[in-house]
Amino acid sequence: MSLDDAQIVNVNNPQQPSSPDTTLQRHVLDLGSKRSRDSERYSSISMSHREINDGDARLVHVNDALKTNERFEFAGNSIKTAKYSLFSFLPRNLFEQFHRVAYIYFLIIAILNQLPQLAVFGRGASILPLSFVLLVTAVKDAYEDWRRHRSDRIENNRMASVLVSDRFQQKKWKDIQVGEIIRFSADDTIPCDTVLLSTSDPTGVAYIQTINLDGESNLKTRYAKQETLCKTPEKDVINGFIKCEKPNRNIYGFMATMEIDGKHLSLGPSNIVLRGCVLKNTNWAVGVAVYCGRETKAMLNSSGAPSKRSRLETRMNREIILLSVFLVALCMAVSVCAGVWLKRHENELEVLQFYRKKDYSEPEVENYNYSGIGMEIFFTFLMSVIVFQIMIPISLYISMELVRVGQAYFMIRDNKMYDETSNSRFQCRALNINEDLGQIKYVFSDKTGTLTENKMEFKYASIFGVDYSGEKTNFEGEQRGYSIQVNGQVWRPKMKVEVDKELLELSKDGNNTEAGKHIYDFFLALAACNTIVPIVVDTPDPAEKLVDYQGESPDEQALVYAAAAYGFMLMERTSGHIVIDIQGERQRFNVLGMHEFDSDRKRMSVILGFPDGSVKVIVKGADNSMFNIIDKTLNLDILKATEGHLQSYSSIGLRTLVVGMRELGVPEFERWQSSYETASTAVMGRVALLRKVAINLENNLEIVGASAIEDRLQKGVPEAIESLRKADMKVWVLTGDKQETAISIGYSSRLLTSNMHQVVINSNSKMSSKTSLEDALITCRNFLVPGGSDGNTTSVALIIDGTSLVYILDTELEEQLFELASNCAVVLCCRVAPLQKAGIVALIKKRTDDMTLAIGDGANDVSMIQMADVGIGISGQEGRQAVMASDFAMGQFRFLVPLLLVHGHWNYHRMGYMILYNFYRNAVFVLVLFWYVLFTGFTLTTAITEWSSVLYSILYTSVPTIVVAILDKDSSRRSLMAYPQLYGAGQRHESYNSTLFWLTIADTLWQSIVVFYVPLFAYWKSDIDGSSLGDLWTLAVVFLVNIHLAMDVIRWTWVSHASIWGSIIATCICVVIIDVIPVLPGYWAIFDLASKGSFWVCLLGMSIAAVVPRFGVKMFIQHCKPSDIQIAREADKFGSSMELARQEIELNPSRR
Amino acid sequence: MDASTRTKSRSKKPQYSRFTQQELPAWKPILTPKWIITSFVIIAILFTPTGLLCLWASERVVEIIDRYDDDCLPDSYSTDPDSFIQSNNTNKTCVRTLKVPRKMSAPIFIYYQLDNFYQNHRRYVKSRSDKQLRDPDEADETEDCKPINGNDDGPIVPCGLVAWSLFNDTYKFFKGNKAIDIDKKDIAWESDKKYKFGSNVYPKNFQKWELIGGGALDESKPLSEQEDLIVWMKTAALPTFRKLYGKINTDLEANETITVVIQNNYNTYVFGGEKKVALSTANWIGGKNDFFGISFLTIGGVCFFVAINFILLYVLKPRPLGDPSYLSWNRNQGAQ
Repeated sequence: MSLDDAQIVNVNNPQQPSSPDTTLQRHVLDLGSKRSRDSERYSSISMSHREINDGDARLVHVNDALKTNERFEFAGNSIKTAKYSLFSFLPRNLFEQFHRVAYIYFLIIAILNQLPQLAVFGRGASILPLSFVLLVTAVKDAYEDWRRHRSDRIENNRMASVLVSDRFQQKKWKDIQVGEIIRFSADDTIPCDTVLLSTSDPTGVAYIQTINLDGESNLKTRYAKQETLCKTPEKDVINGFIKCEKPNRNIYGFMATMEIDGKHLSLGPSNIVLRGCVLKNTNWAVGVAVYCGRETKAMLNSSGAPSKRSRLETRMNREIILLSVFLVALCMAVSVCAGVWLKRHENELEVLQFYRKKDYSEPEVENYNYSGIGMEIFFTFLMSVIVFQIMIPISLYISMELVRVGQAYFMIRDNKMYDETSNSRFQCRALNINEDLGQIKYVFSDKTGTLTENKMEFKYASIFGVDYSGEKTNFEGEQRGYSIQVNGQVWRPKMKVEVDKELLELSKDGNNTEAGKHIYDFFLALAACNTIVPIVVDTPDPAEKLVDYQGESPDEQALVYAAAAYGFMLMERTSGHIVIDIQGERQRFNVLGMHEFDSDRKRMSVILGFPDGSVKVIVKGADNSMFNIIDKTLNLDILKATEGHLQSYSSIGLRTLVVGMRELGVPEFERWQSSYETASTAVMGRVALLRKVAINLENNLEIVGASAIEDRLQKGVPEAIESLRKADMKVWVLTGDKQETAISIGYSSRLLTSNMHQVVINSNSKMSSKTSLEDALITCRNFLVPGGSDGNTTSVALIIDGTSLVYILDTELEEQLFELASNCAVVLCCRVAPLQKAGIVALIKKRTDDMTLAIGDGANDVSMIQMADVGIGISGQEGRQAVMASDFAMGQFRFLVPLLLVHGHWNYHRMGYMILYNFYRNAVFVLVLFWYVLFTGFTLTTAITEWSSVLYSILYTSVPTIVVAILDKDSSRRSLMAYPQLYGAGQRHESYNSTLFWLTIADTLWQSIVVFYVPLFAYWKSDIDGSSLGDLWTLAVVFLVNIHLAMDVIRWTWVSHASIWGSIIATCICVVIIDVIPVLPGYWAIFDLASKGSFWVCLLGMSIAAVVPRFGVKMFIQHCKPSDIQIAREADKFGSSMELARQEIELNPSRR
Repeated sequence: MDASTRTKSRSKKPQYSRFTQQELPAWKPILTPKWIITSFVIIAILFTPTGLLCLWASERVVEIIDRYDDDCLPDSYSTDPDSFIQSNNTNKTCVRTLKVPRKMSAPIFIYYQLDNFYQNHRRYVKSRSDKQLRDPDEADETEDCKPINGNDDGPIVPCGLVAWSLFNDTYKFFKGNKAIDIDKKDIAWESDKKYKFGSNVYPKNFQKWELIGGGALDESKPLSEQEDLIVWMKTAALPTFRKLYGKINTDLEANETITVVIQNNYNTYVFGGEKKVALSTANWIGGKNDFFGISFLTIGGVCFFVAINFILLYVLKPRPLGDPSYLSWNRNQGAQ
């Protein structure tokens, strides 16, 4: 199909007639049409030829799904989140499960056991543990997958309106293909990633909610290109193609060019709506599908956060290796003894009634099941590995996972970590580092949005050197703030801003006075230079509407609201123009270009075509980046004055922004325009090109003014920081803000106190960094001389800025910085770039074993969050990237205190105890088996039935340890909050360390000796049979390990009672069941055994004898060297401490 | 108003429950010195009398043990016991006299005791076929019994090393010239006779071929009535064990002399094992065993000792419970 000239005209003239047609605009349009004519010259064949070679792009023919998909390279829109099908389930699920080392160990043991030479256990018993675990996991996976199948089916069968042979028809989602044109109505969910062609809005705006995608609930604006806006797909033939990137998972980026009716357009993230978004406030929108199904950005992003491994688990693995060494040693001992025994009885083996080496049944006398001493030793070794397999507590890994799920359940449901304002619960995104929360030593915190609320409020302005920071007034009469009349309705901004009366008066003067002119420029800049979208919201009163400014940056929102309050009300924004109501007079400005904010430039600019035809560039940005590009030759005194004002604003903790402006001449504008066009239509490297264009433009600005925005501290931050510091955590604040702002926030958050000595490092070369570091170290040492002051040692606070860090990080100076920083009580880093934040975390992580935690809320904290051992995201105002990258997410900074001090402490203690207990529990059983082997001619007979030995770790003793590890609390929440110092237990590894490990092993040895040898001596020379004694040992071990656990339980809830006593009862029942099955060798053994008094005497005697040493030692330590937790627990119970009660009331006034 | 109720109903605030907030009512025992001392004293009080009781019970058991394997070996064979025991022509009868130390009241249990015989050896324990013992139709289930499983002429019933090595010394007891009746009924477990050894399973091909490992069986009696076999096949847990031979249902008076006529058939010489015959009465604690008494007394004594030490510790070095000044950070401050 050929291009239609009439359409070009149509496309080229999309603007409403209301806008004043300026020469410049015509010029722009001319440019556009010329370019399109140019491209027209290239035939479509040569065009597509060039692009087919372009390996990094995909070509989508609009409304031509057949041609688009002729090579079948693009995915259809049916999604499959389910992993398995009916047939693939078994092999695939098994394959995935066997990715765990633990399962492979299980498997190898089970396979070994199947060799007839090594068959220690029967078939059933040897496969049971593995198949049990596999089955449980498989059932869980199957259930989850069934749910995924179901949701897939629902999702795939949803209906969408798709253009089929020039009519929109209902079509199932799964049948949508790339290249098809789809029409959405309001509140429709978008079925695939779609480039907008037109919307119900005449300017081509569509509002979408991305809550399903990134959790942000504010509306985002997306634009259809002007060129496609006017087309109605049913009638007009849309002919063209889109060349876009290969599918990728960046939901905030999209790069493409569209070739439509011969015109070349660039597409960006604002032109695409992604699968999962919901169309809002827009009647309809039409778009063309570019990514479908699994290639949509939403689907590509559906994988979880990268997993970290907990410190405790790493340490545990070390001890597991030790246990493997024990295991090998035991097996070696057994096999060597077996060898010696065989050697000594070598001559008797043929005739020994219980050995019978030779087989006489055949004419040829052969060895039966005997292959020489060497082989026998080898077989014995392998058999002993099979018998002693649970020395390596494989079930521990599964228990740990269950425990972490349980702990996460309680953390998520903790009322004290629920944030009312954002209606968000605590989130556990990573499930394997719960216990790390109990060992944090360094806390790296972002400032904005983390310590502060990130709810910006415009405070002061400095306009052209005049400071308007007078008293705020709350005008009784004009309390409703500024409003305008539109079509007989009253429109007013949704949020009220306190205004400066003097400034308000002056701003009303308009352009008449000199000051008024500057004020006009200033507020115009605030209203125009942003990405805010005004949305008109209905109120109950039909005559009144509220204007809600939606945008991604809270600073911008605050500035726009402020501008509105002073009579510069932004009313409408499209990709091409904005409408601002200036003191009641509506004016339209053409947005000729916009250079969005980036963290390198730290500023944004907008190129505005004024109604009078002039063109100005307005730049807004951080003060240091702005002062570099402001023309210093002009108005030097005003510059100085502004700098002074900025200084005073930031010293009271305000965030400052500087606004500059410059008029562009026609030649310069044209130069910029052409380079901007090329840069913004480039497919590759567009961002860098645009940045270059921006830098070229943003220079020699004239200063307009500066704004000061207050960002209030979050509730409870000073108290939280004090608690963390008391808990011996080092709190570092890393912020992009100015030094003065950072310091003042430091004071208000009680991070800095007046008796701290501040060491400030601001250098701009490597040499000066070095010298200031050295000086700082010397001062620091002087202050840290002990005994200098009476008990109250002065601490040192280090304040360092990003520029100095550039010269320090990743150089040899790092070492000195680390030494200095580790001596300082507080470290404040200001003006740091996102990557530097990660660098600082790495600085600590590399050099110490201490655990680090990073907490932040913005995209700039992502690298830091991922670098730290534990990353916490605040689900705040600045989007969800931080939360998406984090391990845990919560609503407020102050929740860090209950999270670390209470849950972290509990989790650590519970997990540490559980690991040690599991080591003990399995080792004691293995040792009992081992001792018995010494009395069976080293032949690995087990008196304990194979079923009991298999069930031991998966049924007899598994539940109590998991329950205790989820529910037990070594100290009450009240004491943990009242005494943050108790947190030190985790930092000092008090619940799990090698001393405890060796003590546990020693205790295990003693207990196993008691359990084994008491019955041995009691029944030596008696007529007891193997099964009866085996039952006795089974019961004894189970009783013992449960009593041992019971002794260590601190809080007995009904759940712990039920699980501990329940599992003893369950064991008895199991033993009875095993003994009433006639085919098993131990038939009726337990009844015979229990009918004798000696059994009961034996059981009682060894339970007590086994635990007495542990009990005695524990009580001795408890009395003579009580741990802090022990004392706090006693204080909690006996209430002897008034201090506790008082602090409780202070900390929790809202309760009761 | 409307909006606020809507947001409230959608609130994600976790439902309060004592469980989710980890505030379940709980018993939080803290062992105060009083409790610790009490518990140790209770153990001591509990264990000392129990130990004495056990000792007393064990003391009341009368036991006569006689080792006869060496003495029943004629001197001429002392260097070559194997040929003595394997020969069919040697006279294996052996007479022993035992003196009853104290009155033994019925029932008196007769045991044979073997030393160093690994009835728990892996090769041995597994070498049996429980299916075959129970069901005549499963006589061919002899896979586990190799090499004592039979040949083309048919399977051995009962097969395997355990049955093959059946103990076959016999004892006869005389008081003066009068034989004492030995009750060989009900020496095996009732459950074994009923369910493990079939009443319609008869021995076949037993001890017919190759080496003879031990006693033979009466082929006309079903296995469920072969109580000696049943007892033997209940494999002992430890390498030194006793097995019930029979019961004497008459009292033996103190200082009576009884004569035991032993048929010394069973070969323990090959592995240097010992054979003993034991006569013992029994009570609630089982046979004679001082171990319980001694160990209970020891535990009781140790606990008493520990309790005293704890009392001393608490008197000499008291620590007020829950005193915040003992907290490590407070202690450090105090030290400075």
